[in-house]
Amino acid sequence: MLLQILIQGTLLSGLYALIAVGFTLIFSVGRVLNLAYGAYLMLGGYVFFFISQQLGAPAVVGVLCAAVLGCAAGLLKYRLIARPLGDNPVAVEISTLILAVVVQSGIVLIYGDSSKILLPIVPGVIRVAGTSVTYNLVVATLASWAILIALYLFVQRTHIGRAMRAVSMDRKGAAISGVDPDVINMITWGISGLLGAVAGVFFASYTQLSPSMWVGPLIISVAVVIVGGIGSIIGTLIVAHIVGFMEVIVIAVIAPELRGVFTMGLIIGVLILRPRGLFGREEL
Amino acid sequence: MTALAVRNLVKRFGGLTATNDVSFDIAPGQSVGLIGPNGAGKTTIFSQVMGELRQSAGTITLFGNEISGLSTPGRIRRGVCRTYQVPRPFHDLTVAENIRVGLAPNSIWQLVTRRPDHAREAEIALGVGLRETDFDRAPTELSMGDLRKLEFARTLATGARVMLLDEVFAGLTVGEIQVVSDLILGLRRDGMTFLMVSHDLKALEPLVDRVIAIDQGRKIAEGSYREVLDDPDVRASYLGGQG
Amino acid sequence: MGLRWYHFALWGGFILFMYLLPEFVSRGTLRTIIFANFLAVFAISWDVISGRTGYVSFGHPFLIGIGAYTTAILTKRFGVPVELSIPLAVLATMAGGLIVLIPALRIRGSYFALVTLAFMELMYQLVQVIRPDLTGGTRGMSGIQTLTRGAENGFYMSFTLLAVLSVGTWLLMRTQFGTALSAISMDEDSVAGSGLNTVKLKTAAFLVSAFVAGVGGAFYVHYLGSLAPRALFDINFVFTIIVAALIGGASTIVGPIIGAFFLTFLLEYLRPWLPGAERYFIYGGVALLLYMYQPKGFYAIIMAGWSRLRARMARRKPGARA
Repeated sequence: MLLQILIQGTLLSGLYALIAVGFTLIFSVGRVLNLAYGAYLMLGGYVFFFISQQLGAPAVVGVLCAAVLGCAAGLLKYRLIARPLGDNPVAVEISTLILAVVVQSGIVLIYGDSSKILLPIVPGVIRVAGTSVTYNLVVATLASWAILIALYLFVQRTHIGRAMRAVSMDRKGAAISGVDPDVINMITWGISGLLGAVAGVFFASYTQLSPSMWVGPLIISVAVVIVGGIGSIIGTLIVAHIVGFMEVIVIAVIAPELRGVFTMGLIIGVLILRPRGLFGREEL
Repeated sequence: MTALAVRNLVKRFGGLTATNDVSFDIAPGQSVGLIGPNGAGKTTIFSQVMGELRQSAGTITLFGNEISGLSTPGRIRRGVCRTYQVPRPFHDLTVAENIRVGLAPNSIWQLVTRRPDHAREAEIALGVGLRETDFDRAPTELSMGDLRKLEFARTLATGARVMLLDEVFAGLTVGEIQVVSDLILGLRRDGMTFLMVSHDLKALEPLVDRVIAIDQGRKIAEGSYREVLDDPDVRASYLGGQG
Repeated sequence: MGLRWYHFALWGGFILFMYLLPEFVSRGTLRTIIFANFLAVFAISWDVISGRTGYVSFGHPFLIGIGAYTTAILTKRFGVPVELSIPLAVLATMAGGLIVLIPALRIRGSYFALVTLAFMELMYQLVQVIRPDLTGGTRGMSGIQTLTRGAENGFYMSFTLLAVLSVGTWLLMRTQFGTALSAISMDEDSVAGSGLNTVKLKTAAFLVSAFVAGVGGAFYVHYLGSLAPRALFDINFVFTIIVAALIGGASTIVGPIIGAFFLTFLLEYLRPWLPGAERYFIYGGVALLLYMYQPKGFYAIIMAGWSRLRARMARRKPGARA
């Protein structure tokens, strides 16, 4: 039982971390709450569905398409919404919310309201310690970790990554140092869209594909970011694991239906008690 | 009884000690200048007096009552108020409405039931040198000099008896400096107590009874304007550190 | 408050017009307007806190839900008379709002939006798992006592509600209390720097918002006769409320009414072509465009037009031409 919890917890946490990290970027660097981030998840999932399931292309192609589309969506969103409304974060948040609902209804228009089961990216199961674990989830977790490590190295080691961190700490200071916040923002939104879409593919294959799938993960990723602290990828990782493990424990030990209650309760509790988050750099 | 008494004020930010055991008294009706090089910690002292920053140690007393534990609005209601280096009017409210917020009572019931005191708003506005035509203007339409006047008006509206002025001459033309100086002198005649931070020493001189010099969070001199400015430590601090 | 003759004229005219409306329109249209009335009430509730103070709430259905569930459970499960259950529901909503608010007040801006969204999601989870025998679980409740029968009576009830609540909050916002709340949205620290206790102000605003939400939610459930958590605690509902307030004109109380009616009729107009949730696509797009064009909404557009008209009329005053 303990092993089962450990395995499931690790897997789910990796997934949550992947979902959250795209969000971390925008919030840290752009300082806005991109509520349409959930839309990337949706887009990614549905693009994959379209390419790989309806058109029959191999899974990798589907994921790639999702990634590209996600990136494009992020760039578009930045150009059309975030940049024009730049100095008004409330307006950006509201606009992104509207956009998210528009995308959701667009999806409903095309695909209808019901949920769909995504065929796994990697079929098959593996039995570990008395419990079956789908290869799919394992691949998702491994991919998540790979992406996260790559991202971490990118942000810490490369020039662009350092520029992003600079902008997240102090926009004006970064601008004076020769960093163009506009370009950085564009790159950030693009990467965020890409990550979101890929995360969406994995998330959809873990649960189900439905037009309203994005609300829960959105709340979780925002909470993970806040609790983990703005601008801290490591913090995001740690908190994603706390949330992931807590969910798994609640499902296994308490009651599956109460999972949502505990997750939300944890989020609310931390937001209220320690708004700075556990590892954050910033006061609210 | 002193108007404002600060005792052993200390503020630490992690490893940095921004305010290092600062103490001073200001008697009612007195005007004290606070000078020092950039980064000396003058504005930090202001923020602690107003409660915008929580002090690490020390006490602040206003007219004999300790206010160190009160919130910022609480301290303002006791009679101390500040202006800011960069004016912060409510950008979507008119000049009159800006003053109105300063006059507003701190009780929900009164806020709902009481009519705004337009006469008092006008009185305060005219008293600081704004014109009737300014009352319905938006702050974005005002010159820097008028914005400073608006700040005075808002501060007076709160009923302040001790005013902390933070670089009140910054951004003003020579003529505007004269106008603001006259305004301060007029308020002094009415008994207002002042603590002023200013880089413009020439403008400061006629307005203060005493000067305190701060460097690196520490008080390094206190006395008359002339005494302090002739003090070798003070000069060295402005020129950049001692040997 | 600076009330002028045209304030009385406009409000009076509007109310009179609406009371006479059932004479001229069909049952179907009345039912649509009933929905618009309730949406306007919810939008006003949102506007009082989010439009005015800038603390954007993304979980307003949480408050509406407390009001709705309280009165539904009291009347249906415990046989409490409506005259008692509705006031209790309103009190419960205000209490619920306080429980959320008092700790959440330490949170600013974006995080407040998040906490409210999380609370709505939490409530959705709670009603499904905690005492589903009372709350009806995922499926919700039906067969709840209705207060009126027929479209006409429903209309009079819903509009009276809207009239009372909107005039009341409109007057409230025209006091210094309203000015102080607006100031909070501009520069909260400066409000504290003017000697006002911002926590007290925000709490009062939130209580007013909760009051309106509770009243709206309670009466709504007694109009519909049923309660569906999936529709209530849904991001689409949040969206509808917010958009109604925003495109009408945030922080004006009148704006949300305009916005609610605009949205409702737009939705109805689109129904023959796009019967399902796809309508959200169109009006979401419309809303986005409108919002980006004029974030201050129809109210600002109307006011600007009115000012231009007055300026033009002033220029044409007699004395200029022979």
